[in-house]
Amino acid sequence: MFEIIKANTNFNFTNKFTLTSILSVIVVVASLAGVFTKMQYGVDFRGGAEIQVKFTEHVPLNDLRKDMSKAGFKGLTAQSIGEESANEYLLKVAASEEKLNQVTQKATESLNSLYASKGIEIRKVDIVGPKAGAQLRISGFQAMLWALIAIMIYIGLRFDFKYSPGAIVALFHDVSIILGVFAFTGTEFTLQTVAALLAVIGYSVNDTVIVYDRVREHEARFIGRPLSEHINNAVNETLSRTFLTSGTTLFVSMTMLFFGGLAIRDFFLAISLGVIIGTYSSIFVAAPVTLLFDRMKAEKNETNETVNA
Amino acid sequence: MKRSWWYRFIFLIAVTVMSIVVVIPTVMDFNEESNYPVKSKINLGLDLQGGLYMILGIDFKKVYKDEVRSYARKIEYTMKDDAGVIVTGGEIDATDPLDPKMEIMISSASDVQKTKDKIHEFFNGLLRITGEDTSKIQIALTNNVKRTIEEQSVTKSIEVIRNRIDEFGVTEPEIVSQGKDRIIVQLPGVKDIDRAKELIGRTAKLEFKLVNDQIPMAQVQSWLKKTEDAGIVFNKGDRFSDYIKKVNENLKDELPKNYILAFEKKVSKATNEVELKIPYLVDLNPRITGDDLADARVLIDQQKNEPYVSLDFKKQGADRFEKVTGENIGRRMAIILDGNVYSAPNIQTRIAGGRAQITLGSGNFNQTMKEARDLALVLRAGALPVQLDFLEQRTVGPSLGHDSIDKARFASLVGCALVFIFIFIYYRVSGAVAMVTLSLNVLFVLAALVGLEATLTLPGIAGIALTIGMAVDANIIIYERIREEIRKGVTNYKAVEKGFEQAFWTIIDANITTALAGLCLLNFGTGPIRGFAVTLLIGIVATVYTSYFAGRLFFEFYMDKVEGQDLSI
Repeated sequence: MFEIIKANTNFNFTNKFTLTSILSVIVVVASLAGVFTKMQYGVDFRGGAEIQVKFTEHVPLNDLRKDMSKAGFKGLTAQSIGEESANEYLLKVAASEEKLNQVTQKATESLNSLYASKGIEIRKVDIVGPKAGAQLRISGFQAMLWALIAIMIYIGLRFDFKYSPGAIVALFHDVSIILGVFAFTGTEFTLQTVAALLAVIGYSVNDTVIVYDRVREHEARFIGRPLSEHINNAVNETLSRTFLTSGTTLFVSMTMLFFGGLAIRDFFLAISLGVIIGTYSSIFVAAPVTLLFDRMKAEKNETNETVNA
Repeated sequence: MKRSWWYRFIFLIAVTVMSIVVVIPTVMDFNEESNYPVKSKINLGLDLQGGLYMILGIDFKKVYKDEVRSYARKIEYTMKDDAGVIVTGGEIDATDPLDPKMEIMISSASDVQKTKDKIHEFFNGLLRITGEDTSKIQIALTNNVKRTIEEQSVTKSIEVIRNRIDEFGVTEPEIVSQGKDRIIVQLPGVKDIDRAKELIGRTAKLEFKLVNDQIPMAQVQSWLKKTEDAGIVFNKGDRFSDYIKKVNENLKDELPKNYILAFEKKVSKATNEVELKIPYLVDLNPRITGDDLADARVLIDQQKNEPYVSLDFKKQGADRFEKVTGENIGRRMAIILDGNVYSAPNIQTRIAGGRAQITLGSGNFNQTMKEARDLALVLRAGALPVQLDFLEQRTVGPSLGHDSIDKARFASLVGCALVFIFIFIYYRVSGAVAMVTLSLNVLFVLAALVGLEATLTLPGIAGIALTIGMAVDANIIIYERIREEIRKGVTNYKAVEKGFEQAFWTIIDANITTALAGLCLLNFGTGPIRGFAVTLLIGIVATVYTSYFAGRLFFEFYMDKVEGQDLSI
């Protein structure tokens, strides 16, 4: 048998929990700080307009900026996307709510006439009114909230409600860190990001469920032992599976990230991060939180009993 | 061999063959004319084939305001015709924009009760009286009316948009409602995006207004000159409606009371610029609106061989139309769509019975026919009393989608190849089984996309790639369980059986949680994102079937063949 993780592996995960918890808390807090201060929202959520253009001939970014400014489009920003030799640019149109459609229309017309000789191609135009942007923000948030609630209920019903908080905290942990990375790297938060986050939520829970499944099995088989021992054994036994699955998923998401093209790059950035962080969190976040809740419950029971006595 | 094995095997073969049959036209890129029995191919989303995606919103605040105003007008006419009392519309109070109230001014206090009675008689259940004193009463719409407006606005708008798109010929448009006040329009593969946008964006608000021909044309031209001097000109790219608004604001004090200027514009086909605008002085308030119209069709006068447009009015509209035409024979009636005069035919006679004709004069038959058809379209579209706002517009050029497909397809293949190589090295023969089940997985997902007529989007391709990455998970769970059993010293037969049994609920749990996330996404999703959710969900079902059930089948077959002597895992 070819094994990467040996069958008799027995790390003591539980005694690392204090250390990893501190680490996780720091990273999550930093990430959240980044999300609230630095996050750049894409046109989907912010509202506004974007024009993506590509030229067959070389057009320097500065010329593009100057020409558009001369044509009267104040506040229009341009940035190159992908490699510079691709001559592909993203222009963000600045205009008031009522004029957004009109100004964008004019901007595309100007681009077409200014660069007709440079082989211009308008590849994409996105106009999102502020109302639509707000709507998308709300529904994106709702979708994530519902997913969390649904998963919490499912885990509660299938396993035990004592497992739900652990899974949810782990998901919260994963999502905040991914968003933190987005915020600090200046990657825009778009509709695709929401889709990727939901996929990550599904994936990360998947990982957590597998550990819980083992814990439950151990609890049924070895009655009377502490939960921490069950968790440690379950994590060790599923470790090989955890690494293999994360590895194969990473193969796919990383190749998509590097070779899949610009349009889905950010999507797979979130997925790749999610796979790595999700794997970490099923062991080092979900499990400790479950233990913590178990202990709190036990203490509460004890105090109740003493009162009753 | 067990009997149940055969059933399951035949089922798998049947599903596989069906899937291959369904997927072939897509993979081989057959065209419609090929002899192959299956015609349907995977629909490519807008982001992959280019096209236009829009979300249109209905501003009900404005609709309610228009509606209450139109009721006020109806009260005016009713009072004049039925009671001989002159009442006029007053101020509109839109402090609560969702419940605008309008004043009806009544000159003598004794008529107030009369007016109230008439409102109760004719508009019972439609209007509320929200206030009154000796000189006026205030009206507002009932919730019933508002609800009906809401329900009808969306469905009617969709009808109108579809009608226009169809008549101008765009293939496979998708026009659906979203929520109470939104309409999603998707026009995949549409080439002339500007024209499509213009078509849909054209506000369908139809009004019939009498033209004031007493004021000489020279006077109208001098007014226009004045606005030009004030710097109000129409530039290319501006909205014509904005221009009209500015002109009328500027001339507020000059124009006779209750009249405004409207224009008939001629747009050059070549440059798409407004070449000519003919001014008309028309009523401020329309006599008849698109609401009153039931239908408009092009018919041909058999004797003269001339096309004409036939109008059918609704009951209410018919009565009013008869009155208006009867009182104004010889005058012109402007047909105005969204503030633009479309045509201004002469009223030749009193028109009763709710049916009218608009003749377009003789001339080149084809030319007249085209004019008639356009006019009918405008009139029909005008049956929509709602103004649509563009909330979201996304256009994708065809080459971008093409690039995206190529890159994503390449990356997916590389990713899959890596996974395949890895599992083969790691699990040997069992890895090869996993390769087969994974390939079947992709096949089934593609077949399901064709079968369900779902749309493949770029995030959808991402979903398929991700399905592969995650489907291996099921295989790994099973294989690791089998390995555990073997380590315990169980026989190969037993290890395989136990491995599959114990992995079952784990796989189900893991996939259900992902499916829950997918369902939430589907519910929230717009456009391409829905495509991702759809492929993810299809992928989950396919994964459970191929990795677990098909995988188990292969293992049983393999164990039977080697009689449990050998297990390469």
